[in-house]
Amino acid sequence: MPDSPQYQNRIELLQGTLDLLILQTLLWGPKHGYGISQAIRLNSGELLRVDTGSLYPALHRLEKQKWIASEWKVSENKQRVKVYRLTATGKKQLSAERSRWSQLSQAIAGILNPAARKSEA
Amino acid sequence: MNLRFWQRAKQEKELDDEIQSHLRMAAQERIEAGRNRRDAEADARRELGNEGLIRDATREVWGLGWIERLVQDLRYGFRVLWKSPVYALVSVFTLALGIGASTAIFSVVYGVLLRSLPFQKPEQIVRLWEVDAKGNRMQFADPNFEDMRAQAHSLQAAAELSSWEQSVEANNEPDRVRVAYVSKDFFSVMAVQTVVGRLFVPEEQHFGAAPAALVSYSYWQRHLQAATDLGAAKLTVSKHPATIVGVLSPGFHFPDDSQIWLARETDAQLPSRSAHNWQVVARLRDGTSLQQARAEVSALAHHIYQQYGPHDINMVDAAILPLREALTTDVKPALLVLFAVASLLLLVACANVMNLSLAQASARAPELAIRSALGASRWRLIRQFLAEALLLCILGGAVGVLAAQFGVRALLAMAPSNIPRLDEISINLPVLLFALALSVVVAGGLGTFTAVRSTTGDVQIALAEGGRGQGNARQSQRTGRTIVAAQVAVTLTLLVGAGLLARSMLRVLSIYPGFQTAGILTLDLKLPGLEANDTQQRVHFLEQLITRLQAIPGVRDVGGTSVLPLSSAFFPDGTFLVLNAQQLSPAERELIDRSAHVSWDKADPALLKDLTDFFTRLFSDRAHTGYADYVVASEGYFRCLGIPLLRGRLFNESDATEALHVAVISESVARQKWPDQDPLGQTIEFGNMDGDVRLLTIVGIVGDIRANTLESLPRPTIYVNYRQRPRATHEFGVMIRTGSDPAVIFPAARRILAELDPSIPPRFNTFDQVFSASLNGRRFNLVLVGTFALAALLLAMAGIFGVLAYSVARRTREIGVRMALGASVRNVLKLILEQAMLTTIFGIGIGLIASFILTRSMRSLLFEVSATDPVTLLGVALLLTMVALIAAYVPARRATRVDPMVALRYE
Repeated sequence: MPDSPQYQNRIELLQGTLDLLILQTLLWGPKHGYGISQAIRLNSGELLRVDTGSLYPALHRLEKQKWIASEWKVSENKQRVKVYRLTATGKKQLSAERSRWSQLSQAIAGILNPAARKSEA
Repeated sequence: MNLRFWQRAKQEKELDDEIQSHLRMAAQERIEAGRNRRDAEADARRELGNEGLIRDATREVWGLGWIERLVQDLRYGFRVLWKSPVYALVSVFTLALGIGASTAIFSVVYGVLLRSLPFQKPEQIVRLWEVDAKGNRMQFADPNFEDMRAQAHSLQAAAELSSWEQSVEANNEPDRVRVAYVSKDFFSVMAVQTVVGRLFVPEEQHFGAAPAALVSYSYWQRHLQAATDLGAAKLTVSKHPATIVGVLSPGFHFPDDSQIWLARETDAQLPSRSAHNWQVVARLRDGTSLQQARAEVSALAHHIYQQYGPHDINMVDAAILPLREALTTDVKPALLVLFAVASLLLLVACANVMNLSLAQASARAPELAIRSALGASRWRLIRQFLAEALLLCILGGAVGVLAAQFGVRALLAMAPSNIPRLDEISINLPVLLFALALSVVVAGGLGTFTAVRSTTGDVQIALAEGGRGQGNARQSQRTGRTIVAAQVAVTLTLLVGAGLLARSMLRVLSIYPGFQTAGILTLDLKLPGLEANDTQQRVHFLEQLITRLQAIPGVRDVGGTSVLPLSSAFFPDGTFLVLNAQQLSPAERELIDRSAHVSWDKADPALLKDLTDFFTRLFSDRAHTGYADYVVASEGYFRCLGIPLLRGRLFNESDATEALHVAVISESVARQKWPDQDPLGQTIEFGNMDGDVRLLTIVGIVGDIRANTLESLPRPTIYVNYRQRPRATHEFGVMIRTGSDPAVIFPAARRILAELDPSIPPRFNTFDQVFSASLNGRRFNLVLVGTFALAALLLAMAGIFGVLAYSVARRTREIGVRMALGASVRNVLKLILEQAMLTTIFGIGIGLIASFILTRSMRSLLFEVSATDPVTLLGVALLLTMVALIAAYVPARRATRVDPMVALRYE
């Protein structure tokens, strides 16, 4: 990996959005905290770097809500890591969040592109 | 909570591990990308960001934050207090004073009024009284008790009891001990068992049985060496031997600290329904309420009256109260007043601390402003103040409880004997919980008040002013003055209370009791009851005692009496008959003669019935009955006490046993029965007091005396000569008037008594001590209320001083400006003092109104002083004004010394 540039284009993530991203990431299999932050960075095409200061509190908050569950495992390097996975209720919450997100983005798109709407009308 | 903490530690450890593993993986990734270890780790840590912040944020999520925050606040509060030690110490000690006083008084209130009695199911035990047509409560007569016991279904058991002090010898060692006579269900009512031996059996509980006794645990330990062979112990109660059959459980002393219990049934029952000799206690049946029992006994009493009335029965109704109430009802008003007074003192103390806290907080205004600007919510700042207040109050409460320990000990030492259950007063768990609750409540009030007052106001202004805080000055000064005004009002109320009690005390002391009290020694004896043939022995004993005491060098007069003034709680009062000897038939005269030679306690029931019938008839004629105390006295009694002879003569040697029986009456009896005639020469009969119904001829009239208490009016009294009527002398007091030192007389008297009868332990006293002891109750109230009022006064003085000094310091600049503009010293003084006086006058005004309303509740504690006595109110108002002036003097002087040039530059 190349050196991180000095100036980062860090997009501030709203708390609710971070939850959505974490749940979605875990949909593809259990991960530990570091893995989650890597996955988000990669899958967003390096545009989103999760502030670790928000990541761990978010993970614990989601765990408290019982949308994710955690357990300690031993990794390939014989190290202890805490691995999170999505629960059944978490999956339901994920679809709810996704639909809310698409509603929100449609609404914003409607305001930003009034011409398109006009053309639809 | 422990579980949560353990879980919490585990969670913290896991979070730590998680963060460490994150760092490891991040570093590993960089190492694989080709960087060296050190750079990789440093970079990983940089990427992670603020570890502490992560932990904090996660902890917030976990939600146990409030305890952490509280601990944090408390630690911060501790640091604040540490930095201002004077403020902390003064506040802690002021709070300790208030909380300590309240705790001490509460321990008395709890031990006496609130705590349940130390018996099984104590709420079921009740006390019963007969009630007459005027609503007065009286003790029970035997036949009424028997009927009530048999017919009241709401009571599972009922018992008669009576107790008094007697001379008791245990294994030949004499002592004065309280002995109780109890009827057969007493031990089931009280639900008490024996630890050694057994309770009474029916063979011991009937007329004429040999006396069997039960002793208390402490008596058994102290006087019987805790010997397990009870039969071997030799017990003599007023010269009658009794066999000990059992020892009761430890701590049982009912009634009235009794140590020995005897069966009442061994004495005869009196058939009269108006001989009110017995206390009655009972236990309610399981599941029966007090109201149900009350209704039942009331109806039963009425029914009995219908059946047997209207002669020889006074009972028209019955009263019933839980035993705890019955025991404490006399002292309840005084104790509640004391508790109210302690609470008022606490308020005054809190006012001082409030002002101190406000002053302290305003000095921290910039710090609060900065925290507020940095994002602390108002609630966060209020929490901080609450934590500080909690610290102060917990510390103050702890010191207060320690002080209360000593306070309670002093209280108990001073406490008058009429306060029941003194041995149940201590700083126990409920009292500690009270102290804790009080501390928390005070902390809440204090903290909230200070916080709200300090966090109002614009943050901008506070920041801009730095430390000078002129913007909020006027408001905070007004608050300070309002608090001081409230303090003054409360202090005034307390001082008025103390003043009223003091005036009452002075009034009591100014009463002349009708007899002299100086230079008199008293000797108090408990003598055994008499058999008919022992009367001569008793007369001889008393005669010898008096004569030999008279012979001691230095002794001027010796007088004997069956009722020692100002000492007895028990009063031998009864109804007497005015009888003309000529009006009696020979049969009646013979009956009277027969009664003279029989002893009342072993009397033949037939004779008793005859006598009762005879007198029942006569007593129904109201015109010929009167009511008075019956006192057996010696010739020297009146001279010894200086009781004036108004008409006729006193007792003399010619009044021998076989001569005509004579009586001397007090003024009020003469006024009561013979307002228009000459009482001298009239004959009366007063036999229901000692069973001797022979007629008495009135030979003299003496002045009234206040023999009961100084405060109650003199009781009508009929005196009889001990030579002629020695029976009612089981309590006998001898008074010795002397000019010599008591320390010389006492040993001589003791020796004489020991020679005459070693089995009777005497009690010696000086009459001054007796007099002083009779005022114990009043003195107790006065000392306590007075001390609290004085403490409040000092606190108020400190409060006025503090607020004024602070105000002057704050207004130094303003004063400087005024002086520079031409104000004279007098103007400045006027300015400061005006403020102080206005506050004080306002406080006095409110206080006077409050006193008007509140002192009404003290009425039962006062004597011949009105609760709104204007002299007291005026006096206290003047006192407070003067005190306020003194307190204001120093700050006012300091104000006048302000140098305008310095002040104008003062920051």
